Amino acid sequence: MSRGPEFSASTPSVAVHFSRVDRRYEPLERIDVRYVVETGGAVVRGMERSVLWYTEGKGEEDIGVHFFERMTDRATAAAATGTFGCVLPRSPLSYEGVIVKIRWCVRVRLFFVGGRDFISEHVFDLGAVPAARLPSPG
Amino acid sequence: MVRLPRFFAKKRGDRRTGAAIWGSVGEAVFHLILVGAGLVFGGLLISGVAVPEWRINHDFLESRGTVIAAGVARLSPRGEPGREPRSRWQPFLKLRYATHQGVEESWAVAGSPSSERPAARQQLDGLRAGVELPCWYDPAAPREVVLRRGYNWWMWALTLLLPSALVAFGGAGLARAAAGWGKSEERMAAGRGLGDSLADGPVVAHDLPGVPSCDDLVNSPGTVLPFRLPTDSPESWTLLGFGLFAGLWNIVLVVLAINAGLDLLGGQTDRLLLAVLVPFAAVGITGIVVFTRALVVATAVGTTQLEISAHPLRPGGQYEVLLGQGGSGALEELEMTLELEERATYRQGTDTRTERLVVWRQVLGKWERLQVAAGTRCEVRATLQIPATGMHSFVSEHNSVGWRVVVQGRPSRWPRFRRSFPVVVFPPLVDAAAEQPPTGKGNR
Repeated sequence: MSRGPEFSASTPSVAVHFSRVDRRYEPLERIDVRYVVETGGAVVRGMERSVLWYTEGKGEEDIGVHFFERMTDRATAAAATGTFGCVLPRSPLSYEGVIVKIRWCVRVRLFFVGGRDFISEHVFDLGAVPAARLPSPG
Repeated sequence: MVRLPRFFAKKRGDRRTGAAIWGSVGEAVFHLILVGAGLVFGGLLISGVAVPEWRINHDFLESRGTVIAAGVARLSPRGEPGREPRSRWQPFLKLRYATHQGVEESWAVAGSPSSERPAARQQLDGLRAGVELPCWYDPAAPREVVLRRGYNWWMWALTLLLPSALVAFGGAGLARAAAGWGKSEERMAAGRGLGDSLADGPVVAHDLPGVPSCDDLVNSPGTVLPFRLPTDSPESWTLLGFGLFAGLWNIVLVVLAINAGLDLLGGQTDRLLLAVLVPFAAVGITGIVVFTRALVVATAVGTTQLEISAHPLRPGGQYEVLLGQGGSGALEELEMTLELEERATYRQGTDTRTERLVVWRQVLGKWERLQVAAGTRCEVRATLQIPATGMHSFVSEHNSVGWRVVVQGRPSRWPRFRRSFPVVVFPPLVDAAAEQPPTGKGNR
């Protein structure tokens, strides 16, 4: 299970349970996610659920969305729990490079009445590429 | 309790809060200012330049004017303190002409301004009192008279170009802000195509998001092995850069030298121009020497060809590689390595910078004291193996992870050379039968 460090009544929070406890998935494997939302009293007007990869490191961030679902119906969006899933693609695999890193994550974005939004992001691994290490000089 | 929206996102661990709409507002305001500046600037230019010129050509009425006086007027800009202002001289003619309201007398511009008074006066030669000329006057203000009609196309181009560029840039930004108004980055990325968010970016392989296409690497057959790899040699770009620099610099040098020569022939000596010419000539000659040397080195070393037994490559796969080195003479050393390079592009102020870093390297072969006969090529073979857990090739708009074979040589009489040959590594094969399309159906 994944949840924010401060889970109080006034702060929104999303707890996510992955179908694999170790959060390691293989290409073309199905990922299923169950989440629990605590809005902290704020009124939700919409929700977006996505499975995506993004780059991290020295360069500008690039993003690729593999699965995206948007719910604008207030009743559905405000539901405290939900599930979603998809079959993961063949690429790109998660990569822990030196100046380029590729991360896969499940992202739940809540839109509140008044214009604020809240993003909860939960990283998982696709594939098993070992972390890059700089070659020894010479 | 009323809570004001946050202007900036706040990140704590894996969660973030904020109001993205303020970012869109800021972007929209910035581009709106550009559009406004373009419209104001354009309005000023149109009312100050384009409209008067258009009125002269459309509204002014034709008449015949008789010259009654001629003269030059000094146009004196405000000079810098302690310095004499550089005057310009404008020729004028005083005309008597018939209008719909009666006969008028008024001064009209009779030529272009000149920095020399005699040159300005020279334009009035032959325009003595009594000479008749066609002229055009403003029916709304008959004392406004001109001797020439037509359009100044340069001024029109400037009038349209500068404000149009501002309006176009600002308008495009406004359209972009409107398209992204209230949308999350996931929604924007998903809008470019589920699973293919790089549709506008680099060319990616079919069904492999983020993996570069290798179509351009398999369209050239080898002489011994199936594929000949194209080179991605920085030496070629360096040579091109040297050539362009030497060419452009020496064109400027020749123009300046012709100017100086004409001055000398006319009996004038522009000491400043001559002083500038000497270092310019030194840089120009150095540019030619450097370019010629690089050209000789590039052609003398000979071409490097690399052939491979299969392409694209896969992690864990073994491939045969044939290296063919042309040229003539002895090679003290020839080395072939396989490298994995990360490349990150980022903005620093107004600059866009790219950082490269080799994170994995393996020597495929090293040969010493090779002799290349003229008209032939020296051939060596090696085996290339991609690590079973190696990263596949990856490319996105600002980041990439790429594999390449690098050939480095040390000829006996020339400087070292380095040539690289990119290869594409696809992800490991998985059971395709298990593949299903994503099931997400957003109400975007």
